[in-house]
Amino acid sequence: MNFSLLLPEWIALGTLLILIFREILNGPKSRNSSGIAILLTGTALLLLSLFFLRNSPGSAFGGTFVLDSFAVFFKIFFSLAAFVVLVSSRFFFRPLGGEKTAEFFLILWCALLGMLFLVSANDFLILFIALEIMTLSFYILTAYQKGNLASIEAGVKYLILGSLASAFIIYGIGLLYVVAGSTHFDSIQAAFAAQPGHKLLLLSALLILSGLCFKVAAVPFQLWAPDVYEGAPVPVVAFLSVGSKAAGFALLIRLIFTVFTPFDHERKILFPVLAAMTIIYGNLGAVVQKNIKRLLGFSSIAHTGYLLIGLAAARDSGLAALLYYLLTYALANLAIFFVLSLTANELKSDQIDAFRGLAERSPFLAASLFIALLSLAGVPPLAGFVGKFLILSAAIRDHLMWLALIGILAIPISLYYYLGVIRSMYLEEPVHTASITVPGSAKLILGLLITGILLAGFFQSPVFRIVENALQHF
Amino acid sequence: MIFLLTWIPFVAAFLILLTPSEKKSALPIIAKTACLLTFLLTIGFLWRFRPDQPGYQFLIRIEWFPAFGIAYQAGLDGINMTLCLLHALVSLAGVFTAAREKKRLKEYLFFYLILVGAIYGVFTCLDLFFLYLFYETTLIPLYPMIGIWGSKNKEYGAMQLTLFITAGAALALFGILLLYQKTGFGTFDLIRITEHLKNAPFAAHDQNFLAALILIGFGVIASLWPLHSWSPIGYAAAPTSVSMLHAGVLKKMGPYLILRIALACLPAGMAHWSTLLAVLSGIGILYAGYAAISQKDLKFMVGFSSVSHMGYVLLGIAAMTVTSVSGAVLLMFSHGVMAAAMFAVIGFIYEQTHARGVFDFGGLGKKAPFISMSFIMASLASLGLPGFSNFVAELLIFIGSWEKSPVLVGLAVLGVLITAIYLLRAVQHVCYGEFNPKWNQLKDAVTWQEKFPFVLLLGALLLFGFWPQGLLRLIQPAVGAMLP
Repeated sequence: MNFSLLLPEWIALGTLLILIFREILNGPKSRNSSGIAILLTGTALLLLSLFFLRNSPGSAFGGTFVLDSFAVFFKIFFSLAAFVVLVSSRFFFRPLGGEKTAEFFLILWCALLGMLFLVSANDFLILFIALEIMTLSFYILTAYQKGNLASIEAGVKYLILGSLASAFIIYGIGLLYVVAGSTHFDSIQAAFAAQPGHKLLLLSALLILSGLCFKVAAVPFQLWAPDVYEGAPVPVVAFLSVGSKAAGFALLIRLIFTVFTPFDHERKILFPVLAAMTIIYGNLGAVVQKNIKRLLGFSSIAHTGYLLIGLAAARDSGLAALLYYLLTYALANLAIFFVLSLTANELKSDQIDAFRGLAERSPFLAASLFIALLSLAGVPPLAGFVGKFLILSAAIRDHLMWLALIGILAIPISLYYYLGVIRSMYLEEPVHTASITVPGSAKLILGLLITGILLAGFFQSPVFRIVENALQHF
Repeated sequence: MIFLLTWIPFVAAFLILLTPSEKKSALPIIAKTACLLTFLLTIGFLWRFRPDQPGYQFLIRIEWFPAFGIAYQAGLDGINMTLCLLHALVSLAGVFTAAREKKRLKEYLFFYLILVGAIYGVFTCLDLFFLYLFYETTLIPLYPMIGIWGSKNKEYGAMQLTLFITAGAALALFGILLLYQKTGFGTFDLIRITEHLKNAPFAAHDQNFLAALILIGFGVIASLWPLHSWSPIGYAAAPTSVSMLHAGVLKKMGPYLILRIALACLPAGMAHWSTLLAVLSGIGILYAGYAAISQKDLKFMVGFSSVSHMGYVLLGIAAMTVTSVSGAVLLMFSHGVMAAAMFAVIGFIYEQTHARGVFDFGGLGKKAPFISMSFIMASLASLGLPGFSNFVAELLIFIGSWEKSPVLVGLAVLGVLITAIYLLRAVQHVCYGEFNPKWNQLKDAVTWQEKFPFVLLLGALLLFGFWPQGLLRLIQPAVGAMLP
């Protein structure tokens, strides 16, 4: 057994244990700054271990756990996202009397641990356990602000609908076990190959895919997203919209292109329709929103639609485009939620109106939001444009003209609602004129994210190579 | 060398961003230096340009994104050489107006330089991906520039302009991606695609569909009737230097890209739609001219007038003869310079009076002779008086289109008459008649910095009015090589 393959997970687990023991020993006295120091060290070690493991693929636990370049790509992705979210949550909770943040960090880290296992799962049991570690952590995180009714409501909604999705998945896994007699990916794939027309297999694949579509907020499983985004604390929404969605897509990619390959024909019917519905629903829903978090909820549904085009198109062009799009989406969304967690306590409102005159109160934050929003809208030379460009050319390459046309027609609509936020920030007079101070560390991270958006927009080739490298085992 | 045209403004914009706000005096110097450098560079290219040499000159190619066949490729032929000259003139004249902006000068000049660089990018790049990239990049500065520094209905105007152009661009992107897919050898290299399609054209229905996408997509920014409604509102709302750049140069990207992509790559598709395009242009000429007559706001009047003039350009392109298309390119140049001069005049008066109604003024000829003179000259150029290059251009369009559609040419000549009505009326009410004592404080352009933009633009109009061959010798061979 190859234990060193699990080095990142060991590190994550170790960090988690240190946090727990520190909490138990120190109790409420524990200082947050040392907590965040432990986490940052943990993230650094995690990234370092991934860097060393990036070229040594292998599997452990009898093949139920695999580490390939695809898994490494997503583990780096999750660690970096978690890092940004951890820093932003510090700014978000500090003015709220941050004595409870230790638990917050702990649960967030737990979600990260789930994600790390998730992308390496090669067995449906491991997959389900990892998925539940992640999802359960998110239920708690969503409802974390106990004094805030909206937060609790969001948590309950997410819990009920999320449990339903989990039930779908576990039912699907059960049916698979009935037919194949195993939960291992390889033996299930063999079962599929042996009896391709088996109705139970098709049903179980549909159940599992539905559950995952819930995780990525694809229509018709999207209803929870706007409500949860509106109610949950800002850093949680950031991690939900980036981490949880990426985890969902990582699983979808792995399952569709390994275990469920016999259903390639069904995929080509199902996913274009899902993608089109999701793009239309997300974009039209966002147009009328007055609350920025709710708006971003609908916008994240719309982006799920574009990502689904990557699954609808042919594997070669579609997957690379999907991963590129995911990167650009993550950069922009992390930047946006970083700004929101810095402004949340100053503005005391999530209404778009509250952002009036932000350009005068803090030119830096307004400019960051400006660039990140335009990137989401797909305006060149920002990263989002390249993502859309690759996704749409993948669709056209696979002769999905109508789908590409829907994706293209949605661009001006999305620009309209993103410009609504920009109009508030730049064109309208501020309510309060007091300037917002931005700490140096926040400026650094935000600056890096914005630079990333610009670089991934203009230097497509190096980023594309990273993405292709991640997909080399497919 | 040619990439410097795009990158000098971008670097200058970055420098402006780094300049602390307290050093106000440094900002205009950086911006003006950048525009002057690009202007001189363009003149240098013009000097070394060999009209008799076929193909593109000063070509550079940097492999950029090989997996998708994308290369940073730039070069000049007679057509985009002319348009670069237009942009060099207008952007240099515009920066003098832009530097007088009082509110948030730093951000304004930053956006202005981004806009200038991106337009150079569109006019020099010969790779469809980069063409589209720079084309859409112009949108980033436009929305805040109109929204923050504009006047009258600025939020509405900015939003409408941005959404119209984005919607058009999105359709054009669809067309470009289809073109890329259908040529089938995985390159966005416009030169290779054009050559390939000359030898192996697409089937007729493919050409028709693609040409329609390109025509609608880029027709929006060319303000092809009935897609023009953003244009007068947007120009009226925009600050002076943006109106100058947008009416003068940005709008010309539409016909330019239609020429480069639809006419050069999809001639059969273009021919299929040419009658419809000509009819729509004819309607645009008359409708916008008629609308301009009833405008009370000078900026709206010039806005409609520019829609009407773009009708001539599109009419010339629709006829698809060497004479008419050359005339269209020359009119793109002439109208661009003229419209910039016109908006500069209106902006100059508006800056001091905050009024721009056709009937608000009177007798400015005595009070401000230099500005009035510029206004009169720009108006005369606009209505096609011999001696200005606009006359030559319109004449070429009429001659070149006569064979294809004599009726439309007749109507278009009627359009010239309409232009004369609203422009002469405006000149009469603004420059002549009783002086309105309300504007006693109005000062004429005195310093060289104030006079320079007008001298530059009107000088160029006169120069090429008396020596149209100076531009036509560049344009005609390039157009001849492009047409089937």
